[in-house]
Amino acid sequence: MRALPGLLEARARTSRLLLLQCLLAAARPSSADGSAPDSPFTSPPLREEIMANNFSLESHNISLTGSTLYTQYRFTIINSKQMGSYSCFFREEKEQRGTFNFKVPELHGKNKPLISYVGDSTVLTCKCQNCFPLNWTWYSSNGSVKVPVGVQMNKYVINGTYANETKLKITQLLEEDGGSYWCRALFQLGESEEHIELVVLSYLVPLKPFLVIVAEVILLVATILLCEKYTQKKKKHSDEGKEFEQIEQLKSDDSNGIENNVPRHRKNESLGQ
Amino acid sequence: MARRTEPPDGGWGWVVVLSAFFQSALVFGVLRSFGVFFVEFVAAFEEQAARVSWIASIGIAVQQFGSPVGSALSTKFGPRPVVMTGGILAALGMLLASFATSLTHLYLSIGLLSGSGWALTFAPTLACLSCYFSRRRSLATGLALTGVGLSSFTFAPFFQWLLSHYAWRGSLLLVSALSLHLVACGALLRPPSLAEDPAVGGPRAQLTSLLHHGPFLRYTVALTLINTGYFIPYLHLVSHLQDLDWDPLPAAFLLSVAAISDLVGRVVSGWLGDAVPGPVTRLLMLWTTLTGVSLALFPVAQAPTALVALAVAYGFTSGALAPLAFSVLPELIGTRRIYCGLGLLQMIESIGGLLGPPLSGYLRDVTGNYTASFVVAGAFLLSGSGILLTLPHFFCFSTTTSRPQDLVTEALDTKVPLPKEGLEED
Repeated sequence: MRALPGLLEARARTSRLLLLQCLLAAARPSSADGSAPDSPFTSPPLREEIMANNFSLESHNISLTGSTLYTQYRFTIINSKQMGSYSCFFREEKEQRGTFNFKVPELHGKNKPLISYVGDSTVLTCKCQNCFPLNWTWYSSNGSVKVPVGVQMNKYVINGTYANETKLKITQLLEEDGGSYWCRALFQLGESEEHIELVVLSYLVPLKPFLVIVAEVILLVATILLCEKYTQKKKKHSDEGKEFEQIEQLKSDDSNGIENNVPRHRKNESLGQ
Repeated sequence: MARRTEPPDGGWGWVVVLSAFFQSALVFGVLRSFGVFFVEFVAAFEEQAARVSWIASIGIAVQQFGSPVGSALSTKFGPRPVVMTGGILAALGMLLASFATSLTHLYLSIGLLSGSGWALTFAPTLACLSCYFSRRRSLATGLALTGVGLSSFTFAPFFQWLLSHYAWRGSLLLVSALSLHLVACGALLRPPSLAEDPAVGGPRAQLTSLLHHGPFLRYTVALTLINTGYFIPYLHLVSHLQDLDWDPLPAAFLLSVAAISDLVGRVVSGWLGDAVPGPVTRLLMLWTTLTGVSLALFPVAQAPTALVALAVAYGFTSGALAPLAFSVLPELIGTRRIYCGLGLLQMIESIGGLLGPPLSGYLRDVTGNYTASFVVAGAFLLSGSGILLTLPHFFCFSTTTSRPQDLVTEALDTKVPLPKEGLEED
């Protein structure tokens, strides 16, 4: 026997009539022997039960068509107390169950902290997909106490262009503005909230590595230039010794005269490439 | 005296190669990894993608446009003071950018100031490299340019890590400190002990002759179109991936995967360009077409494996076309006019680099995603490669065109009339 559970996240808006259906289909035995298979289900001494959040509801409408057993539960969602999980159980030898989960939409924020600097302005965004909350509120918390973000000077709640998002804009950031922020969406049938972390850095934080690297570059440049000066001094000393040799070579070159001009001309031309 | 006029082809030259390696890493690696900052700026300034893209495109354009200025200054004062000044300017630009309160502030500090700093570093270094090497010049240049690939690979995740710890202000401050190492690289550029610069005709005469050179003008147009589409993935890929719900760190890693294949593409293409006979223009057209196709396919890919494959393809083909774009030029105009030609080419193609990213950002703002941007970028590349078809000797399959560079210089030096097959006329 197999159960076909339905797993459903219903997005209930206003009061709505819902129908939960559980189907239990039996695997058909092969008809190789030619005889028509009997219905595997016996008539209804089968026990079936529907539970909501571990509270048993009345069992309704168990019926049999062909080899599929199905039961349904019809109810109206009015308030948040009806949120939770609804399960149907079929008990014969084995227990088969299917579960429906009802909850309000989840919010999506940023899973990484938002980093900003003192004096800057930043925008924290919360959104949910395909949802229409009645109300959005923002809270900030230092430790465990959540304080609503109220009429503080630099914080503005901007409700986004669409109903499914909200933004908190904070201008003139101070270091104390950093910390945990919560956005809460109020639905008719409950609430949902999300956490966003804001980190406010001062300029000194990146400045320290910056200065270290600048110092390293200055050191490098100084080393390179000093090394070069040192090797040039060495060359000057050794060059003075070679001056006599060069003067003698020039004298011997001059005595050759015009014949050497042609090869030199060609060498210059090859440089032109 | 006879020994000093020849370039050493080694010795201190290899230290210059090392310096050029780090400089290309610090200039182009930073530029290419700027896509990571792009996302932060859009959020922090609440501006549209098109307007934020101007930051990088102004930087690229100023760097390319200012290259001739950099080379001119270095011929007057020597490469060392120019490059060190450039390094200070680049670092200063980033430092000021960390205090930015508006987008205009960023245009001026990163775009203008850092851009001009970069312009003063890269061109003089390449010129200095050419002074130190003649026979092994292409090897030295190739080794120096591998710095671009390696830095794009490491900088993208590194910048993402910086952003997660210091936000964009602190990260810009630290990138400024990183850019200050350009000053140290500049200190290594010891002026070579060459007697004089070989004068190859007045610059004004060269300029006018180039502007009347049909193939050169067509090549400039082709490269401008290619430049328009070329930089777009490096700027907008991270943002596009976030639109597809990727997390920032894997997106930055995809950028670095593209950078690795860019590096491999450069090396393979350099080797292939030497090994395969015939004009290099054909290979350039092949790589440009493939780059355009891979760009246009980006919006179609949704699955992560397809995106990774496309990133690898784009990286490889775009890296492959880079060294060839530089080596087609001597084939077209001869090595005597190469400096003038290179400066002019960089100036004009910078228009493409300036307009490409904001156009892509504008298309994204108008349509809501990057599909149109990538397709248009691919179209620019394909049209540029189409113009390459019109260059001379593209369809010529004779064996005499295997070394056109030597033929041209021989003709100009010895003034002997050669058969017209392997020559273009001045």
